[in-house]
Amino acid sequence: MATAASVGLALLITLAMFLVLGAPIAVGVGLSSIVGMFMILPLEQGLLTAGQRMFTGMNSFSLLAIPFFVLAGVIMNNGGIAQRLINCAKVLSGRLPGSLAHTNIVANMLFGSISGSAVAAAAAMGSTMTDQQEKAGYKREFSAAVNIASAPTGMLIPPSNLMIVYSLASGGTSIAALFLGGYLPGVIWGLGCMIVAFFIAKKLGYKSEGKITWKVKFRYIWEAIPSLLLIVIVIGGILVGFFTATEGSAVAVVYSLLLSFIYRTVKIKDLPQILLESTKITCVVSFLIGISSIMSWVMSFTNIPALIAELLTSLTDSKIIILLIINVLLLIVGCFMDPTPAVLIFAPILLPIVTQLGIHPVHFGIIMVLNLSIGTITPPVGPVLFVGTKVAKLKLESVIKPLMPFFAVVIIVLIATTYIPEISMLIPKLAGLVK
Amino acid sequence: MYIYAKLMSSLQQQNIYFHRIVFSIHELDEVIFVETAKKWIDIVLGRICVALFTLLVILVSWQVITRLILHNPSLITEDLAKYSFVWLVLFGGALVFGERGHLAVVIVKEKLPRKLRIGAEILIELLTAFFAITVLTIGGMLATEIAWNQLSAALQIPIGYMYIAMPLSSFFILFYCVYNIYDVIKKRNNIELLN
Amino acid sequence: ACGSSDKTGTSEGDSKGETQVLKIAFNQTEQHPQYKAMVEFGKSFEEKTNGKYKVEIFPNELLGAQRETVELVQSGTIAMSIVAGPLMENLNPDFAVFNLPYIFNSLDHQMSIINNPDIVSDLYASLEKERITVAAALHGGVRNVYNSEKPIQKPEDLKGMKIRIMESDTNVQMMERMGGTGTPMGQGEVYTAIQSGVLEGGENNELVFNDLKHVEIAPYYSYTQHLMIPDYLIINAELLAGMSEEDQKIFKEELSKAVDSEVEMFNKEVERAKAEAEAAGAKFNEVDLKAFQQAVQPLIDEKTSANENTKKLYEKIVENAQ
Ligand code: NA
Ligand code: NA
Repeated sequence: MATAASVGLALLITLAMFLVLGAPIAVGVGLSSIVGMFMILPLEQGLLTAGQRMFTGMNSFSLLAIPFFVLAGVIMNNGGIAQRLINCAKVLSGRLPGSLAHTNIVANMLFGSISGSAVAAAAAMGSTMTDQQEKAGYKREFSAAVNIASAPTGMLIPPSNLMIVYSLASGGTSIAALFLGGYLPGVIWGLGCMIVAFFIAKKLGYKSEGKITWKVKFRYIWEAIPSLLLIVIVIGGILVGFFTATEGSAVAVVYSLLLSFIYRTVKIKDLPQILLESTKITCVVSFLIGISSIMSWVMSFTNIPALIAELLTSLTDSKIIILLIINVLLLIVGCFMDPTPAVLIFAPILLPIVTQLGIHPVHFGIIMVLNLSIGTITPPVGPVLFVGTKVAKLKLESVIKPLMPFFAVVIIVLIATTYIPEISMLIPKLAGLVK
Repeated sequence: MYIYAKLMSSLQQQNIYFHRIVFSIHELDEVIFVETAKKWIDIVLGRICVALFTLLVILVSWQVITRLILHNPSLITEDLAKYSFVWLVLFGGALVFGERGHLAVVIVKEKLPRKLRIGAEILIELLTAFFAITVLTIGGMLATEIAWNQLSAALQIPIGYMYIAMPLSSFFILFYCVYNIYDVIKKRNNIELLN
Repeated sequence: ACGSSDKTGTSEGDSKGETQVLKIAFNQTEQHPQYKAMVEFGKSFEEKTNGKYKVEIFPNELLGAQRETVELVQSGTIAMSIVAGPLMENLNPDFAVFNLPYIFNSLDHQMSIINNPDIVSDLYASLEKERITVAAALHGGVRNVYNSEKPIQKPEDLKGMKIRIMESDTNVQMMERMGGTGTPMGQGEVYTAIQSGVLEGGENNELVFNDLKHVEIAPYYSYTQHLMIPDYLIINAELLAGMSEEDQKIFKEELSKAVDSEVEMFNKEVERAKAEAEAAGAKFNEVDLKAFQQAVQPLIDEKTSANENTKKLYEKIVENAQ
C-alpha cells in the first residue's frame, strides 16, 4: 500500500502544480501520469505504456457519439433551429407572470433535448431572450441569471456528451440507461428554476405576454416538430435497440443536415467550416479522454482506488455521509474544473467506492453529471456562467446575486437526486434497461 | 501555500532564462518564416481533419445502412471508424494547441504580474513540448514498433501502422510550441492579447 | 533486469531475497473460473518458490482490453495476460485451427489437444520473436445457440433467424452453414436487440447466457456445441526464460494443476448457471449434432487446407478424436 500512497500523492501534487500554473489540463494530466509511470516502471516501458494507453483510450466505438452529437449541434446552431424552439417554448410556458423567463427555461430544456452541450444552449438562447426580456421591462441581471441557471439542464436531458464520457470512464455503463436516467433530474431542475422565476417575477411585477392566437400557436408548434422529431428518432432508436448510441448520433447528423438543407440555412460550401469547428470542440474533449486513460491506468496498476476506498470507509461506513462527502468534493471540483476532465479523473476512483455501498452505476453517473453541471454555473471557472454573462453583455459580478435563489433550488434537486435513487432509476427501470 | 511558493520561485528562475531568449529573438524582430509556416500547417491540418471527419460520418452512416436496410452488416466499418476517430483527435488536438484552445485553469495565471505571466506562458509551452516528446514521440514510436506484427482483427492490417499517428501529431504539436513561444515574446508588451 | 519486477513493492517481501511480483491481466470478473484458477496458481507458486514470486491478478480489464495487454506482455510491463483464441490468430494465423467450429467433438477431446506438448509445443513457442510464450491453454466454455422463438434441432430450424455472433468472417460463414444469419454486435447491446426483435438470438456458453439475463428474452437454449475456443495464458518470453530451471519446473507443474482445476470449476459454474436459468424459464434441448457437423464440414476443410502447419495440426486433432 506504500506504493499506492506515494504514487497517488505524486499524481495529486504534480497535477495541482500544473493546473495552478495554467497549463492545458490535458498536458497537466499527461505529465503527472508520466511522473507516476516513472515511479512504477522502467523508463522505456513507462513511455510505451503511456503512448499505448493514450491511443487505446480513444479507440472506442461509443466515444464516436461525441463528435457526431457535437456536429449535429453545430449544424442546428447554424440552422435557425434555436428560434423555432423559442417559439415553441412560448406556447408551452403559457401565461405565467414573467412568462418570457419561463419561455427561456423551457427553450433551454428543449434545446438540451436535441443537443449535448449546455454552453451552446446558453449562447443560443441568451443572445435573443435577454434583449426581448429587457424590452418587456425585465432586469437584464435577472434574465441572464434565468438563462444561466437553466442552460445546464441540457447536460442531464439526453443526448448528453458528459454521460458518454462517464459511460467510458466507468467501464461501460449503458449509455441508453444513463440517457433515460437524466430525464427526470433534468426536468425537475428546469421546473425548480421556473418556480424561483415565478416568485421573483410576481414580486417584481413582471407581467405575462399577451395572448397568442391559436393560429399562431399552431404554426409555432408545427414549425418546431421537425426539430423535435429528432428526439423521437435518435433517443427512441437507441432505446428500442434499433441502433447504438453512436449510430444514433450519426443519424442525428444526417437528419439535422437534411433539415438545414431544407430550411436553406446551411449550404454545401459551409460544410468544411462546420466540420472544422466541430473538430476543435470534439478534439478538446477527446484528447483529454485519451490522456486521462494514462492516469487511470497508473491508478489501476498501483491499486489507488482501493486505497482511497479503504481510507474513506475507515472514516465512516454510513452511506449517507459518504455520499455527502462525495457531493461536496464534486461541487468543489466543479468550481474549478470543467466537467469532462472531472468525470475522467474521479469516476474511476469514486465508482468502486459507491458500488460497494450498493449504489447503481447509472444512479451514480447521474449524481456526478448533476454535480458537475452545477459546476458549469459557479465561479471562479464556469463555462456556462461565462458565456451566459457574455451574451447578456453583463459583468460576472452582477449576475452572482440574482443567481443565488437558483443555486438554492438546484442544490435541493441535487440532494433529492442523491438520496432518492428512484429519480434517476425509475425511467431506466420502466424501460427494462436496469434491473 | 507551500506548493504555490515553490511554484513561484521556479517561475522566477524561469524568468531569468526568459530574458536571454527575449533578447536573442528581439534582434530578429520579425520572424516571418514562423508565421508563414503556421498558416500553412493550420491549413494542412485543417484539411486532414475535415477529410477524416467526413470519412467518419460516411463510415458510421454506412454501417447503419448495411445493418438496418441491407441486412448485411459490414465487418470493417466499426474498426475503420474507430481508427479514423483516433487520427482525427490526434491531428485535431494538435491543431487546437496552435490556438491555445485546450481547456486550462487560467485564473491564477491571468492575475500574475506581467513578467511572471510571460515566464509562465513559456514554461507551459516547454511542458507541452516535453509531454509531446515523451508520450507521443517516444511512447508512440515504441508502441508502433511493438505492434508492427500484430494484425487488427477486422481490417487485417498491422496495428503498428495505426500508432504512427502519435509521433506524427507530436511533430505538429512541437511546431506549435515553438510558434507559441515566439508569439508570447512578440506580444510581451501587450500580454492581455494572449487571453 | 526483468521488467516485471516491482520497483517499489519489495519492502513487503520476505527477508531472504527480492520478491518478484508477476502481474496478470484478465478481462472478466473475479467470479470467473479462470480468475479463481489463477488465484490458486498464484498461491501455490508463491509457496513452492518460498515467496520468490508473488502473483497479482487484475480483473475487469483494469490494465486494458485483451489486445492491448498483449503489447504490455511483449514489453514486459506486465508478466502475463489471459487472451482469447481469435486474438492469437492476429499474431500467428496457425492458431486459427483451434477456433474453428466443430473442431473438437468433446471437452475431453479439446483438453487432450490444447496442452499436449507433442502437438502444440512448436505453435506455442512460435511467438518468441514477438517476446511472447504461451504458458498454457485454458478451457473457455462451449458455445451453443439460443433464441427467442423455438427449440433448434437441425440446421433448417435456424432459417431466417438473425443470431448475434463474434465479429469474424469465419463466424459469419459458420452461422450461414448452420442455417441462420450471423450478425456481429457488441455484447452490451444484444439484450435490447433481441427484446426489440432486431435479433432472434445469440450464441454463447451457459454462464454468459445466464449472467447477462439473456434467458429472459431468448429462453430456448439448444446444445449445438459449435465452438469450443480456448483461452491462452501468455507470458513475457524473457521473463520465463530468466527463471531458474527449478522455478520453471514448479511454474509448469502448478500451472498444469490450475488448468485442470479450471475445467472442474467451469463445469460446476455451468451447472449453477443452468439451474438458475432453468428457474428463470430457460428450456434446454439436445440437437441433431451430426447434421450441424456435416453442414459446417466444408468450412473446416477449406480453412484447414490453408497451409502446411494448419493441415498437420488438423490431422493430429482428428487422430486424437474420441
Ligand atoms: Na442534452
Ligand atoms: Na465552476
